[in-house]
Amino acid sequence: MPAALRGAGPLLAPGTILLGLLVLLGSLRRGAFTLDELNTDAAAAMTLILVAAGETIVILRGGIDLSVGGVLSLATAIAATRGPLGGWQMAAWTVAILLIGLGVGVANGVLISVLELQPFLVTLATWSIVGGTALMVLPSEGGAVPGWWVAAGAGTLAGLSLAVWLLAALLLWWAWFRRTRLATAIRAAGSNERSAFLCGVGLGRMNVAAYGLAGLFAALGGLFLTSQTGSGSPTVGNDFVLPAVAAVVIGGTVLSGGRGGLLGSVLGAFILTIIGNVVFVLHISSYWQPVVAGLILVLSVLATSLSERVMARRAAA
Amino acid sequence: MTALLRASGITKRFGGVLALNGVAFEAQAGEVHALLGENGAGKSTLIQILSGAIAADEGSLTLRGQPFRAANPRAAERAGIAAVFQELSLVPDLTVAENIWFRREPLTWARTVDRRALLRRTARLLGELGLDAIAPDRPVRLLSVAERQVVEIAKALAGDPDILILDEATSALPPREVDWLLGIARRRADAGKLVLYISHRMAEVRRVADRVTVLRNGETVGTRATGSLPDDEIVAMMLGRRLDRLYPQRHATRTEQVALHVEGLAVGHRLRGVDLSLHAGEILGVAGLQGHGQRELFLALFGALRSRGRISVWGKPIVIRDPHHALSAGVGMALLPEDRRLQGLLLGKSVRENLVLAILPRMARYGLLDLRREGALVADAVKRLRVKVATPEQPAGTLSGGNQQKVVLAKLLLTQARILLFYDPTRGVDVGTKAEIFVLMRDLAAQGYAILFYSTDLPELTHLADRVAVLSYGRVAAVLEGEAIDEAAILRATLAERRAA
Repeated sequence: MPAALRGAGPLLAPGTILLGLLVLLGSLRRGAFTLDELNTDAAAAMTLILVAAGETIVILRGGIDLSVGGVLSLATAIAATRGPLGGWQMAAWTVAILLIGLGVGVANGVLISVLELQPFLVTLATWSIVGGTALMVLPSEGGAVPGWWVAAGAGTLAGLSLAVWLLAALLLWWAWFRRTRLATAIRAAGSNERSAFLCGVGLGRMNVAAYGLAGLFAALGGLFLTSQTGSGSPTVGNDFVLPAVAAVVIGGTVLSGGRGGLLGSVLGAFILTIIGNVVFVLHISSYWQPVVAGLILVLSVLATSLSERVMARRAAA
Repeated sequence: MTALLRASGITKRFGGVLALNGVAFEAQAGEVHALLGENGAGKSTLIQILSGAIAADEGSLTLRGQPFRAANPRAAERAGIAAVFQELSLVPDLTVAENIWFRREPLTWARTVDRRALLRRTARLLGELGLDAIAPDRPVRLLSVAERQVVEIAKALAGDPDILILDEATSALPPREVDWLLGIARRRADAGKLVLYISHRMAEVRRVADRVTVLRNGETVGTRATGSLPDDEIVAMMLGRRLDRLYPQRHATRTEQVALHVEGLAVGHRLRGVDLSLHAGEILGVAGLQGHGQRELFLALFGALRSRGRISVWGKPIVIRDPHHALSAGVGMALLPEDRRLQGLLLGKSVRENLVLAILPRMARYGLLDLRREGALVADAVKRLRVKVATPEQPAGTLSGGNQQKVVLAKLLLTQARILLFYDPTRGVDVGTKAEIFVLMRDLAAQGYAILFYSTDLPELTHLADRVAVLSYGRVAAVLEGEAIDEAAILRATLAERRAA
């Protein structure tokens, strides 16, 4: 393998799948590779990308976070009941919503560490609790988000939409974060808790950091979603939980923890989004979308496991 | 000369068990100091206290003449104490470099890990240690057990500690790496550092240690200079009595019945066509340098590796599909695996659960577990192998190395397999338990079991095996029998084939 490609191995499979889908899309429809199309696709994928970004970090830590669904719903619900607000009040509520997401995540991390409970169960419970809270805030779909938000969601800067700028910021952040000691420690804790602990890693702190980030990203995803729809939904987040996990896995991150990264999850989220476009352009029933998504998920898991086997064999040789 | 490290009156209780009882010893800069003792003598507890993993109940430590108490491993590290534990502390998904400098990575201005400096430092460290063959950017999960152990040692040396603690560090190492490690221990002592060396292998202790301190039942028996101390006396100090002999008398129990016959067995390029016959009542030794096909041979026989060639069991040609098939009544073959902590035992589960796992199908009646019969079988197995447990409900991970290995052995014997594949069964096991395992192996042979036995320790093969097959480059270079079995002959066989190859 050429040196430049080393380390990119896990991205090979999702990268190829995405490229294939794009080529297919381009051959079926003209104008598939314009700036407009990039803006639209990024906007369509961005909510899932943000949720998957947080999920990636939790899965790297060796856990799973279902509560992101509740946090996303709650974020849109709160935003959609702040319609009349503007100026500094709106800014304050934006920060507040992000802090609420962070808070739910931190609570998850604390519960998992202090009570030594399974992440699946803890976040299943908080998903339900936070989701219920969202229904109390906004009993049904609708409401209005602050106009400033909608304007930001619809506008462009230098020809690029908010989603593209957000994506760029996310990738930049990841380029930094993945090289920090914290990221290394989170990966280590997910790879082998006992070894990491023996090396002096505070496992509880890793939980708080990972789930906290997941909550923060889910709230950000909710805010982004309201900027696109202009309204809120107390249950919309539920549709993002399992697709986010799927995006992470399609991106080559190992579900048991320790190995993977955010870049793959971004590819995974784009794949899941673009399948919809392909199905639409093919004029076949939209029910094919989940079928194709499932097949791609199986293929991705297979690719990850095969590449691991090849590496192990090469190492043994 | 004043002592670099002095311990006095160190006492530690675990629940009702007194692990250390007023242990006192001192060690000087510039020496390799061996700590010897049977399993449960307190060596591990003592070094865990030194390295900050646990705290002593009573007693005091002085380091360079100052009182010293390590609250945690990081504090011990800062005080210049680095330990290589039996329990590996490497993280599988981090690279060699990331592991060696984990939690003390060089940082850039942006508070990110400086990868180039990390790789450069690692390459330099590995180069200094003569380990250029290990790639710094390779994930540890892709390394062999021996390579991981070597990286673990490199990690301990990265901080240039004044006190290096090696706890059974050679048990996972092939002979060449053992030489390497002993060389490093010697060099560090000559450079004025202290090396605390814990090993069950007398020959190594004799080669490298200046002095030995012997522990027994949590107390210090004494400290002596190694040079003037005969092996017998060391063993007597450890046991509190003289062990008549380590190896049991060898009786010819081999029968004419062939239990396992192998022809042209091949796996990849490591095992290139092996022919062997293992008889009932026989211990067939397997010798060879690390990586010459022993592991592949054992795993292939157990169905854990895909192989080519012909295998017949009790005269019947057979294709072993997987370990489940190997263990089934039709084949009856069981493997004592290389790494008991990973493959042989569920450390978090109790001794009882570990034992029962092997025989679940037999225990169930109408799909339910027969608890009374289970209890009886477990109690019987524990007694038969003299496993030291407070209760069968004790988690396997809390047992000493030797006792864990006994549990693995008990598991094998509960399976009703008649062909036993023992891959280095005495690795990390103390001298008393070793002797028990050897007696057990000879007993099993006398009962008609057929035993294939690989050991990294040549004297074990020469004393225990009825025949020894020497593997070299994936083939059988020689089969030695009777008087012809001695260490020199085995070594000659490995080397002769090398010249021809």
